[in-house]
Amino acid sequence: MLKKIKIENAVGTQLAHDITEIRPGEFKGPAFRKGHTVCDDDICRLQKLGKNNLYLIDLADDEIHENQAAGILANSLAGEGVVWEDNAKEGKIGLHAAHDGLLKVETSSLAAMNMVNEVMCATLHSGTLVKKGALVGATRAIPLVMKRAPVERAAAIAAQNNGTLKVMTLRKASAGLVITGNEVYHGLIEDRFAPVLSEKIRLLGSEVKGIAFAPDNEEKINSAIQAHLDNGCDLLLLSGGMSVDPDDVTRMAIRRAGAKEIQYGAAVLPGAMFLTAYIGNIPLLGVPACGLYHRTTVLDLILPRLLAGEKIGKKELAFMGHGGLCKDCKECVYPHCPFGKGL
Amino acid sequence: MQDFETLLTGSSEAHGHLCPGQVVGVRMAMLGCRLIGLNEPTSHKQIKKLIVYVEMDRCTADAVAYATGVKLGRRSLKFMDYGIMAATFVNLETGKAFRVLSTEESRDLAEVYAPEIQGKHARQLEAYKRMPDSALFRVQKVDARVKDKDMPGPTRYKTTCQLCGQVIRDGREIIRDNKVLCKPCTRESYFKHAREIAWPEMDWTPSKVTDMQATHIECDSGNLLHIH
Repeated sequence: MLKKIKIENAVGTQLAHDITEIRPGEFKGPAFRKGHTVCDDDICRLQKLGKNNLYLIDLADDEIHENQAAGILANSLAGEGVVWEDNAKEGKIGLHAAHDGLLKVETSSLAAMNMVNEVMCATLHSGTLVKKGALVGATRAIPLVMKRAPVERAAAIAAQNNGTLKVMTLRKASAGLVITGNEVYHGLIEDRFAPVLSEKIRLLGSEVKGIAFAPDNEEKINSAIQAHLDNGCDLLLLSGGMSVDPDDVTRMAIRRAGAKEIQYGAAVLPGAMFLTAYIGNIPLLGVPACGLYHRTTVLDLILPRLLAGEKIGKKELAFMGHGGLCKDCKECVYPHCPFGKGL
Repeated sequence: MQDFETLLTGSSEAHGHLCPGQVVGVRMAMLGCRLIGLNEPTSHKQIKKLIVYVEMDRCTADAVAYATGVKLGRRSLKFMDYGIMAATFVNLETGKAFRVLSTEESRDLAEVYAPEIQGKHARQLEAYKRMPDSALFRVQKVDARVKDKDMPGPTRYKTTCQLCGQVIRDGREIIRDNKVLCKPCTRESYFKHAREIAWPEMDWTPSKVTDMQATHIECDSGNLLHIH
C-alpha cells in the first residue's frame, strides 16, 4: 500500500524508490536511491526535481516492491550465458552477456510475458552477435508496488525453455572452402571469394583449414569436398556455381557428395540462391556470387547461427523473409540496420 | 490422469470435433486437478471427492467435464452461467478450491507461439498446446464451500409447489407471500405460457409389446401381472 506525504513532512523517512534526475544531454540517473533517509538538505533538491510529495510504502503480504519484482523477472528471463545483478536502478535490472556469442531470444515467451499486466522486458534482436558484458535486455515492473501473483506468473512464462534470453557460444569451426568456377580454376581471373569468406569466418572466431579450387565439374567439386572432410573440416563453404546456368553444377556436386537435407533458396536478398545441406552433422553452405559484391548477405545471417549450434533448414531459411531485404545502402552499417532482424 | 494427447482424443470424440476449446479445456482440467491434489479424478477412490464449476457453456466446458469425469447428473458438474472462460475445481475432502481462468491474451499469443500455422483455428489449436500453463491460464485460490443442497448423493429434501403441485427437489423452491412455489410458478422461468397437450403415439415405450398380445411379466413379488 502507498501513502502520500508532503515533502516538507518527509524528513526522517526513507525513500520508497529511486528518484531520477534528468539533465538534458548531460545526465540521466538516480539522484537519490531507494532507502535513502531524507534530511533537511534534501528538501530543496527534491523540490527542484519536481517532488512536492513522496510515497511511504507499507507492503501487504501479497505485495512486492518494484525492485523485488524486477529481480524475480530477471532471474527467470536469464538463461544460459546471461547474467544480471540484483541491484535495480530506477526499478530496472539489466541483463548482460556472460561471454561473447549470439543472442537468442525466445520471442514467444517474451511476448507472452509482456502480455501480463504491469511487467515488461525489452531485448536486442534475436540473432545479434554480442560481446561479453553487453546489455542484451532489461526488465522492470511498471508500478512501484504490485501484487506478487502476476509477477510470478510472468516469471513462469519467462522461465520456459530454460529462460527467455540466452547467449550461445560460437563453436570454433575448422572450415574448408571450395572455390568453384572454370574462370578462376584456369587462371582467367583472380579469385576474390576466398579472402572474403576467410575474413568472415575468422571474425567469428573460427579458422580456415583449407582452400580448394575446382572447375565447374561435379566430380572435381565432389573430390574437393571429400578432401576437406578427410582433412577434418567440420564446416564447408562452397562458392560459385549456385545459379541456374548450365555451368552451375555445384548443387549437383553437393548432392553427389552424399549431402542430405539440401535446401536451395533462402528468403533473403542478397542471397536468394543460398544453399544449406548436411553431411552427417557437418554443414555445407553454398554461397552464391552475390557474396562477392555485397558486403553483407545471407551468409552473415546464417553463419553465426550455425556456429551457435542451430540447425538450419527450410523453416529457418523461409522465416528470414520478413526483414530479409537489404536496402543496399551506399555505406553499409550492418549490423546496425534492419537487415535480418525480422525473425 | 491419462496423458494430455489421450485425453484430448477422447474429449474430441465425445464432443464431436477437435477445436482450440478442447485443448484449453483438457489443459484446464489437468491443471485444476493437479492443484487440488486429485491425480486420478475418474478413479473410484477420487470420483466422489471432486466438484467442478464451469462458468461457460462452450466447447471448453465439455472438455473439462470429459477429462475430469464430472457429470451434471451426478451433481459433480455445476454450470454457472457467467459467460467466463473459467472453471473452479473443488476437493471436497480437503476443501481446497482453485479457479482457473483462460487468459484473454492467449488468443493474441497464438500468432507468436505457432507463427507457421495458417488459419486462426488451426493456429490457436497448435499454439494452445505449446504455451505454458502460465501463459494460458491465471489461477485464483478461492473459498468455494459447496452447500449441502448442492452436494452429490441422494435427494436430501423435497417439497411441493403450493400453486401447481409439482414436487421440487434440493431446496430450489421459492418462498413468496409465505407460499412454497416452484420457479415456473414465480414466472422467473426460461419459458412462459405452458399448456399441457396430448401428442401422437402417446403409447410408445422402448420395449413396445407387438400385436397387442397379452404378456405375462413376473413381478418382484413372484405374482404374475397381466398386461393387455
